[in-house]
Amino acid sequence: MKSKTVLAGNLNFLNLADLLQLLGTNGVTGILRVTSPYANEQGLIHIVNGNPANASCGSLAGIDAVYALFGWTEGEFDFTRDRVDIAKVIQKSRMEIILDGLRMLDDGLIEKLGPTSFDKISLDSSGASTSVPIIRGPLVDYMYVVDEEEFIEGQQIVQEGKHGGWIWVILEGTVDIIKETPQGPLTILKLTDGSFIGSIASFLMQSNARSASVRAASNVQLGVLDSQRLAKEFARISSEFRGFVLSLNKRLTQVTEWATELWQKNNALDAFIKGRTPLIQQGENEDKMFTVSRGEAFIVRKTDDGYVPLATLYEGDFFGRVPFLDMGHEPYSASVFASENLKATLMESDKLEDEHERLSATFKNFIKNTATCISVTTRVACEFQKRISQAGQKKSPDNVSASINRK
Amino acid sequence: MAIFNLKKREIECKIVYYGPGRCGKTTNLEYIFKTFKKQVSGEMVSINTEGDRTLFFDFLPMGLGKIKGCDVRVQLYTVPGQVQYQSTRKLVLKGVDGIVFVADSLEVRREKNLLSLKDLQENLRDYEMNIFKMPLVMQYNKRDLAQQGIPLMTVEKMERDLNRQLKVPAFQASAVTGQGVGVSLKECLMLTLQSLQKQFQWAK
Repeated sequence: MKSKTVLAGNLNFLNLADLLQLLGTNGVTGILRVTSPYANEQGLIHIVNGNPANASCGSLAGIDAVYALFGWTEGEFDFTRDRVDIAKVIQKSRMEIILDGLRMLDDGLIEKLGPTSFDKISLDSSGASTSVPIIRGPLVDYMYVVDEEEFIEGQQIVQEGKHGGWIWVILEGTVDIIKETPQGPLTILKLTDGSFIGSIASFLMQSNARSASVRAASNVQLGVLDSQRLAKEFARISSEFRGFVLSLNKRLTQVTEWATELWQKNNALDAFIKGRTPLIQQGENEDKMFTVSRGEAFIVRKTDDGYVPLATLYEGDFFGRVPFLDMGHEPYSASVFASENLKATLMESDKLEDEHERLSATFKNFIKNTATCISVTTRVACEFQKRISQAGQKKSPDNVSASINRK
Repeated sequence: MAIFNLKKREIECKIVYYGPGRCGKTTNLEYIFKTFKKQVSGEMVSINTEGDRTLFFDFLPMGLGKIKGCDVRVQLYTVPGQVQYQSTRKLVLKGVDGIVFVADSLEVRREKNLLSLKDLQENLRDYEMNIFKMPLVMQYNKRDLAQQGIPLMTVEKMERDLNRQLKVPAFQASAVTGQGVGVSLKECLMLTLQSLQKQFQWAK
C-alpha cells in the first residue's frame, strides 16, 4: 500500500491541540507522528476518521500516550495518510481529549518536555554568553495592591543583605535580580509583569535580610502588596503548610546561592554527595512527600555536564513530589541524597494540596512564582555548570572542581 | 474566525460563555443542552477544572438559514475562569465568533465581574480581536435570588459597571430556571451570524 506524508511541520507553530482539531474537522485517517528533541522515542497517534483510535509514546499506550504528548510543546510532527488497522482503544471524543489534555497540562499533571517552558524564558544554550531568563508572573490580583511605587531605570529597589519586609508585585516593567560576588555583580534572573519581589520569610517575627539585590532594568511600576492581609492569611494556615512555604522559600535562596557559586566556577559538590547513594533517584516515580526530621538531605541534578548541586535541606524542610507545584527538582529532574543520620517523616501531601486549593489567588500566585523562580534558577545553575565543564574540557584540568565533575 | 468544513458543507462557529467563576456559565449551557436536546449533536463534554467546569458541545441552531448554501453548526463552550488554565482558555478563545458574558448579579461579586470583563478584553487582545467589534451579549444572571432576599445589584448599576462603553444587548436571566437563557443565546447567535455574513461579503 502506498503511504506518504501529507502534512508536516513544527509543533511550535501548530501545537497538538490545534493539530488534532484540524485533522478532526477534515475527518482523515492515518498516523500522526510526533518527535521532540527532548524525548528519545517518537510519539504516534493513530487517527481514524478524524478521531484518535490509539496512540503510543514510550512505554505509554492509548489515551495516556495522547495526554503525555500534550507536554511536547517543541518538536516536529508529520501526518501520513494510511489505512489504520488497529483496534479503537481510545473511546473519548476528540474535543474531550483536547480539553482534558490541556487542562492536565495547566494543572501540571502532564510533564512539559523541553527547556522549562514557562512564559518568555529565553535561555541561550550556547553557554558562553548566557542570556538572563525573564520570568513573567500570573495575573495580578489588584485587590491585594495597596499602593503603587515607581522606579526609574537603573534605580536600586532592594539591597542584598539589608533588612526589609515589603513585598511587591511587578505591575509593569522589568527588574534584575542581582547577587553580589567577589568577581562582581551577577544578574541571575530578570522578573517582569506579575512576578513578586520579596520573601514570605518577612511574615515571620524574625527580621528578614534580603537575599539578593533588585534593580530596575527599565522604568518599573510596582504594586505594594497588602502584607498585613497576607500575613494574616499566612498565620491562619496550618503549621505544616507554613513549614512548606518557608522551606520552598529557603530552597529558592539556596538554589540562587549555588548558582552564584557555580558562576564563580566553584563546585563543591564533592563534599555534598561523596560516597552516598541517592534516596530518590532522578526520574524515579516517587509520589510521596517527606519532611526532614533529623540530619540533612541534598538536592542534586544530574546533567550531561556533571552533577549540579541545588540545595541542602535541614530539619523541617520538605522533599519529594509536590502534587500542586512544579519546581523542576525531585523526583523527575533531580535526585535527593541523604546524610547518614537522616530521618524523614512522610507528609500528608493531600492535605497540603487541599490547603493550597483554599488559599487566596495572590498567595497561590506567590507560591507558584517562587516555584518558577526555583525552576528557572536551576536551569541557570545548569548553564553555569556547562560552562565549567566546557572550560575544563578545553584547557588542561587545572580547575579541580571541573575534573571532579567529569567523573 | 469560523471554520468551513467543505466535506460536510458546514460552517462551524464558536460561541463562548465567559464570566467570573461560579456566575452560572455552566448552568446556562446545561440548561441549553437539556432544553434544546433535539438540536444538540453529540455528547456534552465536561472537563472538571479547579472550582469550575469547562463544558463543550455542538449545537445545530434551526431556522437560522444557511450561509452560502452551508449549514451552520455552533460549538458552545464555557471557559475556565481561573488564571492557571491558560492553555485551555487559549484554545477555547482561539477563533471565537461570539461571546455571551455572564455577569453575577450578587452585590458581593461586583469586583469579580469587572475583573473578568477586563480579563476578557485582554485575552481577546492577545488574539488581536477587539471587544468592541466582537459579537457580544451581556447576561445579568441570578436575578431570581432577589426573591430570597439576597442583595443584588440593580440592572442600572450593572449596566453602568459593565455596559457603559460596550453598549451591547443585555438580558436579565436566571440560568437555574432557564429564564433569559434562550434569548441571550439567540441574540448572540444572531449577532454572530450577521458578523459572519459581513465577513464573507468582505471576502468576496
